[in-house]
Amino acid sequence: MFSIRRHPVFFVVLFAPALLLVGGLMLFPIVNGIRLSFTNASPLRAETRFVGVENFIYLFEDPRFWEVLGNTVYICGLSTIFCTILGLVVALLLDSGIRFVGFFRAAVFQVWVVPWIVIAILWGWLFNDEWGIVNQFLRSTGIIEGQMAWMFEPKLAPWVVIFAYSWRAVPFVMVIALAALQGIPKEVNEAAEIDGAGYLNRLRHITLPLLQNILLVAALLEAVRFLQEVTIPLVLTQGGPIGATNVLSLFTYKAAFTEWDFGLASAAGTVWLLFVIVFAGVYNRFLLRKSA
Amino acid sequence: MSVSAPILRRRANQAALYLSVCTLVLIMLIPIGWMLSTSFKPLRDVFQTPPQWIPDEITFKNYVAQFNEVLGTLMLNSMIVAVGAAVLATFVGAMTAYGISRFRFKGGALLMLFFMGSLAFPVPLLMISLYSLFVKLGLLNTYAALILGHTAVTIPVSIWLLKNFFDQLPREVEEAAYVDGASPLKVFLFVVLPMARPALAASAIFVFVVSWNELLFGLTFTSTTDMRPLPAGITLVFLQEFEGAWSEMMALAVMVSIPVLILFFFFQKTFLRGVTAGAVKG
Repeated sequence: MFSIRRHPVFFVVLFAPALLLVGGLMLFPIVNGIRLSFTNASPLRAETRFVGVENFIYLFEDPRFWEVLGNTVYICGLSTIFCTILGLVVALLLDSGIRFVGFFRAAVFQVWVVPWIVIAILWGWLFNDEWGIVNQFLRSTGIIEGQMAWMFEPKLAPWVVIFAYSWRAVPFVMVIALAALQGIPKEVNEAAEIDGAGYLNRLRHITLPLLQNILLVAALLEAVRFLQEVTIPLVLTQGGPIGATNVLSLFTYKAAFTEWDFGLASAAGTVWLLFVIVFAGVYNRFLLRKSA
Repeated sequence: MSVSAPILRRRANQAALYLSVCTLVLIMLIPIGWMLSTSFKPLRDVFQTPPQWIPDEITFKNYVAQFNEVLGTLMLNSMIVAVGAAVLATFVGAMTAYGISRFRFKGGALLMLFFMGSLAFPVPLLMISLYSLFVKLGLLNTYAALILGHTAVTIPVSIWLLKNFFDQLPREVEEAAYVDGASPLKVFLFVVLPMARPALAASAIFVFVVSWNELLFGLTFTSTTDMRPLPAGITLVFLQEFEGAWSEMMALAVMVSIPVLILFFFFQKTFLRGVTAGAVKG
C-alpha cells in the first residue's frame, strides 16, 4: 500500500485524468442538468430564466408523462423479471453436470454482443405482420388466424420491446449465475443429497438462497441498463403506436433534442434520476441480504 | 431388471437434460439464425410460406450490395470512435483502478460507489450539458466528441473490472521491482500493466462493444454523414431509404454485427473471466 504523503505526485498522476474526464463529462453535466430543470433553458431562447418547479408541475399535470412512466415501469420491469428467470434457468441447466458447457455458454453469450441497432432491424423482420416468422409460426400452430399487428396494436407493441430486451439480457444473467453456481462447493450439495434431499429441495433450500444476492444485483444492473436503453423504441417502434412504447429515455431525449426544451427535458431526467436513487435505496434496504 | 432401473432412469434424465438445454439454446439462437438465413436469399424467396430455413437458392448479392461508400464511411467512423474510446477508457481506467487499489486513503470506497452509481445517471440528461459543452469547445461533429462521450459512460465499468484484477494481483513482483529502485510510475507502466493484459483486454472489449452500439451521442453530436457512427447512420440513411428489401437489410445487420462477433469469439474467455470475477466476488 502506498501512502499519499510519500507519493503525492504519483497519486495525482494516477487520479487526475479520470477526475478530469468524469468530473467534466459526468459530474458537471448531472449537477448542471439538475440546475437546468428549474429553468426554461433552450438553445432556441436567447435568455434563460429561473422558473422554479414549473417544469415538474407541467410534467406531472400532463397525462402523457404518466403514461410514459407507466410504459417505462411495465417494459423495463417485465424485461428484468423475464431475463433474470430465463438466465437462471439456462444457468441451472448448464450447471447440471452436462458436457460441452463452454460451447453452450458461448452460443448463448454471443447474443449479448449483438448490436441494438441490429436487433431493431431484425425485430422489425421477425415481427412483421404479414411475413414475419413469429406470425407464421403462430399461424401454423393455429394460435392465431390471419395477422397479429405487433407494431400497430398498443397492447402488442410493448411486448415486441420486452422480447427484445429480455432476449438480449438473458446471456448476462446466465453468465453471472453460472459463475456463481460453479463457485458453490460440491460438498454442500452432495451432503444434502446423502441426507435424501431431492433436486427441487436442494434448489429451494441451498442453491437459490446462495444465489439470491448475486441474482438480485444482476437484475438491478439490468433494470438500470433497460432504463437507459433507447434504440428499439426510437428506431423500431418510434414510441408508438399511440405512445405505447414511449419510455422515459425516449421522452427525455426527444424533449431535449427534437423539441429543444432543455428545461423540461432536464426535469424529466431529474425525475428519472430520483426514481433510480429511491428505487435502488429501497431495493438495497429490503431485498439484498447483507453479507456478514 | 430391478438393478438396471435406476441406471435407466438416470439415462432418461440425462437425455431429457440435453434435450432441454439444446432446445433452449436453439430458441435463443432463432433470431440470429433467421437473420443469416434471410440474408442469403434472393428477395423473391424471402416471402415464402411456410418459411424456409435453408434457402433454395443461396445468393451473396445482398452482401455485395452493402459494399458502398456510405456503409464503408459509417464502419470506419465507428471503428475509429470505438477504438479511441476503448484505448482512452481502458488506460485512464487502469490508472484510476490502480490508484484505488494501491493507495491507502479515505474515500477510495466512496469513489468506487460514485463511479458505479454514475452508471445510472440518465444519459439524455447528461447529453444536455455535454451538448452545450461540446458547442463551446468546438467539438460538435468531431470524433473527439463521440470518443469523450463514450469514454465517460464506460469508464466506471472499466475501473471496476481493473480494480478487481489489481486487488487480486500478488504484490511480490511489484515489491521486487521497488527493491531494485524503480519509481512507482515505472513499476506501474512496465511491470503492472503488462501483467494486467487480460483485464485490460476485457475492459477494452467492453468499451468497444458499448461504443459500437451507442445511438444517441451519434445522432446528436454529429451532423454530417461522413462523421456519423453506424447506429446513427443506419437510422438516418439506410432506414429512411428502406423499402421492404428485407434480405438486404438482414445482410446489412449481419455485417454490422461481424466486428463485435469476431472480437467476442477471439476473446470470449478473457472477457468472461473479467465480467464474472468481479461480479461473483462483489
